[in-house]
Amino acid sequence: MKFTVTKEKLLEGLQQVQNVVSTRTTLPILSNVLLQANGKEVRLTTTDLDVGVRGSFEADVEKSGATTLPARRLFSIIRELPSSEIHFDVDGKNTASIRSGQSFFKILGLPEEEFPPLPKFEDAKVVTMRQKDLRDGLRKTSYAISTDETRYVLNGVLFSFKENKLTLVATDGRRLAMVDIELEFPRSHEADIIVPTKAVTELQRLLSDNGDIKVSMGSNQIAFDLNNTLLVSKLIEGNYPNYKQVIPSEAKERVTLERETFLNSLRRVSLLASDKSNSIKLNFSKNNIDITANTPEVGEAKESLPVAYKGRDFSIAFNPEFLMAPLRALTEDEVYLDLIDEMSPGVLKIQTPFLYVLMPMRISS
Amino acid sequence: MKDKCAELWQRLAAALKPQVSADTFKRWFSTVELVDATDTRLTFRVPNNIYQFWIESNHMAALQAAIMTAFGAPREVKFVFPGNSGEAREEAVVSQRSETSDETKSSGSALGLNPRNTFETFVVGPNNEIAHAASLAVAQAPARTYNPLFIYGGVGLGKTHLMQAIGDFVWRKKKSTKVLYVSSELFINEFIDAIQHSNLVKFRKRYRQGDLLLIDDIQFLAGKERSQEEFFHTFNTLFDGHKQIVLSSDRPASEIANLEKRLVSRFEWGLTAELQPPDTETRMAILRMKARAMQIKLSDEIFQFLANRIRSNVRRLEGALMRVASFASLSGKELTHDVVEHLLKDILQEEARHSITIEQIQRRVAEHFDLRLADMTSKRRPANIAFPRQVAMYLARELTKASLNEIGDAFGGRDHGTVLHACKLVRKRMKEQDSLRQTISFIDSSLQR
Repeated sequence: MKFTVTKEKLLEGLQQVQNVVSTRTTLPILSNVLLQANGKEVRLTTTDLDVGVRGSFEADVEKSGATTLPARRLFSIIRELPSSEIHFDVDGKNTASIRSGQSFFKILGLPEEEFPPLPKFEDAKVVTMRQKDLRDGLRKTSYAISTDETRYVLNGVLFSFKENKLTLVATDGRRLAMVDIELEFPRSHEADIIVPTKAVTELQRLLSDNGDIKVSMGSNQIAFDLNNTLLVSKLIEGNYPNYKQVIPSEAKERVTLERETFLNSLRRVSLLASDKSNSIKLNFSKNNIDITANTPEVGEAKESLPVAYKGRDFSIAFNPEFLMAPLRALTEDEVYLDLIDEMSPGVLKIQTPFLYVLMPMRISS
Repeated sequence: MKDKCAELWQRLAAALKPQVSADTFKRWFSTVELVDATDTRLTFRVPNNIYQFWIESNHMAALQAAIMTAFGAPREVKFVFPGNSGEAREEAVVSQRSETSDETKSSGSALGLNPRNTFETFVVGPNNEIAHAASLAVAQAPARTYNPLFIYGGVGLGKTHLMQAIGDFVWRKKKSTKVLYVSSELFINEFIDAIQHSNLVKFRKRYRQGDLLLIDDIQFLAGKERSQEEFFHTFNTLFDGHKQIVLSSDRPASEIANLEKRLVSRFEWGLTAELQPPDTETRMAILRMKARAMQIKLSDEIFQFLANRIRSNVRRLEGALMRVASFASLSGKELTHDVVEHLLKDILQEEARHSITIEQIQRRVAEHFDLRLADMTSKRRPANIAFPRQVAMYLARELTKASLNEIGDAFGGRDHGTVLHACKLVRKRMKEQDSLRQTISFIDSSLQR
């Protein structure tokens, strides 16, 4: 295998795939990237057996072929190379010679045959959607994924394809984020699948504002095809909890808040939320919310926020981090906060189909 | 069980309602069902996993507070829902089987019975056939044959096994029977607790409304006067109500020190059955049975070796078998005589220690009667020396394998007639005097230790 490529193209290609590379060294081949030179391009593939990514870059291929090289090492070498033109030459024993300007590197690789192939998606159900929709949807939900490994079904985002709608749901048991995306697909493609956190993270990195994405669902795996990049992942087996149970049916009070103002106030006040109780209190009174936090033996913070509110006076406490996370992820100017009472969950909504349910914390006073 | 759970849940729900909002209660707790309740753990059945996740994350504090209010002590909380792991599946299977689903599952734990202790797994030999037959008779017709049934025998001979087998058998035959199996220690503790919290009525209700009361290790009642009194009344109520009572002890009722006369006489009222250490054949049978149950394959030679060398009790026998088997499966080495001997070194030593020598007996008896060891072998024969000497001879005859002549020799060259006479005399006196019987059984047990 022999090719010449510019430093930028090679770096960009490696950046797309290198995050998947396994840090566990049980199988040495998994820390390698598969390079396949053919025609006018070189394909790059990495996998940790759960998630796999395939990207490519344009190159002047002199001799086609394939090999695998240690991904992290290759990336750090390429990043440091002085010249913009890089010559790659791999011999029959998988030893790669990298030449760029005055620099010369020789890296030992492993044969292509050892690299686990990415799964095939033959009779899979295929749905095509806009990249932007999925990117927005994942941004609005993925922060609520549970990191508690004992609740493995929650360690991912639910993709629920139902009634010409894709519903994305993430929850960790204290909060729940949900987005609906209008989508057309045949009835037979209806499915509930759980995409693991790692795949979601990688996918968010790959998604852009333009173009389409092709989602192929196999029996226990999924592939996301973004024209020149492919991401495949195993699915989390098990049933995602019935999230609808969590959503309060009606709200007693609704306040409309300017997202950024509210977020900034929360951010300031939360500086004095104690690590221990970690709660921030919203005190509602006529046309005003007092946001307060205090830590014993440290101090307290208070900020008033004028709002249109005509309901009864009451206080409710939330985990500030959990309240700020959706506000950061959203882009809308206005958000609605629906409340019932101090012990019932609060619901954050926007104009478009999005929902964030957050359990209040007990007010100790 | 179902009714009990429903009742407990009522109490818990009442305590929980003020802790959470009405909407929360309706949403998360109205469909929750309490399916199993022990002293340490409550198991709730929820429709699906979101209930578990959400309750665990958000309402655990409220739930635990309600548990404290309702039951006075914290409990471990467990959730099951259809489709999760082993337990729920098992439950699903059970519920198909019969309407008494929950009870079947919770049988052993709720009653405190070990499901392995049944009549089928009890190996009958000449040492325990009477006790076994009596237990079986009691189990088949509670309160109609022998009431109370008093089983006694040394450690690890199967008292608990038989009692639990009775409980299990009776309960299996008729699920509505109230079977109560407790150790006397638990009885005492609950009694003390009841006095402390002044809810004796509840305590009495618990014990006096059972159909079958099984009390293990009754000898621990000794010296606990209030408990004895309470037990006396419990006993009478049950007995008069024609309910079966089964008791076990490590010694005959009459030999339990500090046990009230009226209790002793009641214990001896029905049938007293003794369990003795198993003979070699029975030990072989036990070993084979256990090995089958544990799915262990050992050669006959090893079985023979274990059965011959470990005589004192079944529990130890089982332990030795387990040790040999696990060694075999872990190391994969072939089990030879030497290997087994090395493996069981400590157990075998312990066993050997149990073969009592005449000298030990003499020493122990002399100590007890406050004599010098030399008095045991001397020619002097005033009554205060002669009688203890005769007791020692009797014990030597009973506890060792020595012949009459050997015993005579050990006691300063007396002939076998003297020894024979001593044994007869002691036996006769033991029948006449309870105090002597107690003394001798005390020395006996201290020697066995």
